[in-house]
Amino acid sequence: MHINNYTSADLQSYLDTADVSNNPVLNIAILRNITVEGLTPYLRYLAIQMGFRASISYGGFDNVLQDAIGNDDLLNHNTDCIMIFTKLETLSPKLANGFAQLDSSDVEEEKNLVKNYIVSTLQGIRSKTNAVINWQGFELPVYPAFGVIDHTNSDMQVGAINELNDFLKAKLRDVKNGFFIDINVCRSIIGYNRFYDNRYWHIGKAPYTLDALREIANDNFKVFRALKGKNKKCLILDCDNTLWGGILGEDGINGIRIGPNYPGSAYLEFQQEILSLYHRGIIIALCSKNNEPDVWDVIDNHPHMLIKRNHISIAMINWEDKASNIKQIASTLNIGLDSIVFVDDNEFEINLVKEFLPNVETIHLPKGASTDYRQMLASSGLFDSLAFTNEDKIRSQLYKAEITRKEDQGKFTGDIESYYKTLNMVACLSSANAAVTPRVAQLTQKTNQFNLTTKRYSESDIEAFINSGNADVIFVELEDRFGNMGIVGCSIISYREDFAEIDTFLLSCRVIGRGLEKVLLSRCIELAKNRNLAKVIGSYIKTSKNGQVADFYVNNGFIIESGDNDQETRFFYETKNGVPPMPSYYKEINFECFKK
Amino acid sequence: MEEKLKKIMSQILGVPESEIMPTSSPDDIASWDSLQHMNLVLAIEQGFNVKFDAEEIIQLLSFEIIIETLKEKIG
Repeated sequence: MHINNYTSADLQSYLDTADVSNNPVLNIAILRNITVEGLTPYLRYLAIQMGFRASISYGGFDNVLQDAIGNDDLLNHNTDCIMIFTKLETLSPKLANGFAQLDSSDVEEEKNLVKNYIVSTLQGIRSKTNAVINWQGFELPVYPAFGVIDHTNSDMQVGAINELNDFLKAKLRDVKNGFFIDINVCRSIIGYNRFYDNRYWHIGKAPYTLDALREIANDNFKVFRALKGKNKKCLILDCDNTLWGGILGEDGINGIRIGPNYPGSAYLEFQQEILSLYHRGIIIALCSKNNEPDVWDVIDNHPHMLIKRNHISIAMINWEDKASNIKQIASTLNIGLDSIVFVDDNEFEINLVKEFLPNVETIHLPKGASTDYRQMLASSGLFDSLAFTNEDKIRSQLYKAEITRKEDQGKFTGDIESYYKTLNMVACLSSANAAVTPRVAQLTQKTNQFNLTTKRYSESDIEAFINSGNADVIFVELEDRFGNMGIVGCSIISYREDFAEIDTFLLSCRVIGRGLEKVLLSRCIELAKNRNLAKVIGSYIKTSKNGQVADFYVNNGFIIESGDNDQETRFFYETKNGVPPMPSYYKEINFECFKK
Repeated sequence: MEEKLKKIMSQILGVPESEIMPTSSPDDIASWDSLQHMNLVLAIEQGFNVKFDAEEIIQLLSFEIIIETLKEKIG
């Protein structure tokens, strides 16, 4: 059931009976100057939805700065996410409630107090943890101090609060992994009159209604979901009554509804939303029961179609069941079923997919509501990620090239190494710097299959490795005759007194099966040997997704050191055995050639 | 009304319905603190589609008082 449909009592019962004992923990710390304990059930529910178990701790009431500086129980290396609530009514009653009485120097003074408070709080937090910080921005008054003219004059109350919000955003960008959660947006979704509970504001300094708290929790989880790699990568769309109105097989290309006027305008708007996702790096696929040539005829030739052939990475247009087709799409793209969102207007198809592929997220577009389709897709928040990288911009082309590659490989008759040689692969290995930390962090957050340890790192974690002086963060770019694939893998090596430990070793699923792992591993060993370290330790931490790399170290000359438990196995390699040679089927392997 | 209220109180306060008596109050249900009181009031408002004013909220401190107040509202 969707979170919006629970009463608070039923939600509580659901949470009391849900078995989450096997889920990994998501540690959420909440610093606040108001009462927001009502968030707890919503946070717990949303954590369960993404396969986690929320452990939620609240800082002292109106103790934001004190907790940020001194509360090691609340904020420490186990903390995953920090939510901060600094309601201006408590933080600066003068700015919030008494603005009209202030002269301009009073206003400056108050603004500076708030700014210093922001800076000190962030410093305090970052001295303890690199956890994600979601700071809820300052709410704008709807009845500002100077009435209607306040919105026009930037030196009045609205202007002052906007300035504080801009300052807060800038500081959050500076600290890395800081996110501004705009409560004003939550408020506009719920509606001002349903957002505040003035009774409880006075009784218990609890300003928000249950609807408000639910929406705030939702918005915060868009960040948490991306942090834990649970955001979606691929959108699979039905065609009839989804991409356009009507049924192609009955109405024909000239009868379907898509265009600038109603009813086609609703579908045009929906396609625009899909295109925005495409440009954010979401893979677009089609899954439709239709005659394939008819669908391509519409896509190629209908004058109002916004979605064109080049936006679609893969299409399964046939009369088979949709669950099998979606499985086929996942395996062709080499992505997990839990990275997929399937959209269809037909409830039968939605239920079939839910039944057979429960890990696939579904969005049902109800009949008669086409004018809301765009909003239904936009409001899901399922595709949000924490950075927008060069790889995101070209991702769909990358996947398309990958499918061409696979088709090409299918036609090749020689042995695999001869095939690799025909690809003219060029790899480049470089040490990470600030320019690539967003992409490297993103890889650790999103990669599931070829990932030996599946440790999820934020940008500030990656920077901490780079700046530590006793670790290398190496990334690899790959290019072949089908195109440049960008940054497709990385490794983090920690140096100890007499050995090197491979903390992270991963490759994007797009480049599995072309020997790139040997290139990266050889480089790791070489770096350890250059430091005169006798041993390289690697470990495999088992997850439900990374079974294919269980024997990776053994297959590459490592020896099992310990494997006492089921979860983690450790391996070692003695550098006196030399650096394993790079594969011979690469056209070039270069070092430190990264250009940006 | 009594049964529905018992169910909501049980769900929110985490006590079996059988332990909820007419005189049950924050004094004999340990989990019924001020935060849970707020959760309880909001859940009752949702469940019965009513709204209490602030004066009423701070006095809703036993099962029977809640029932009486609800009866006044719903009739």
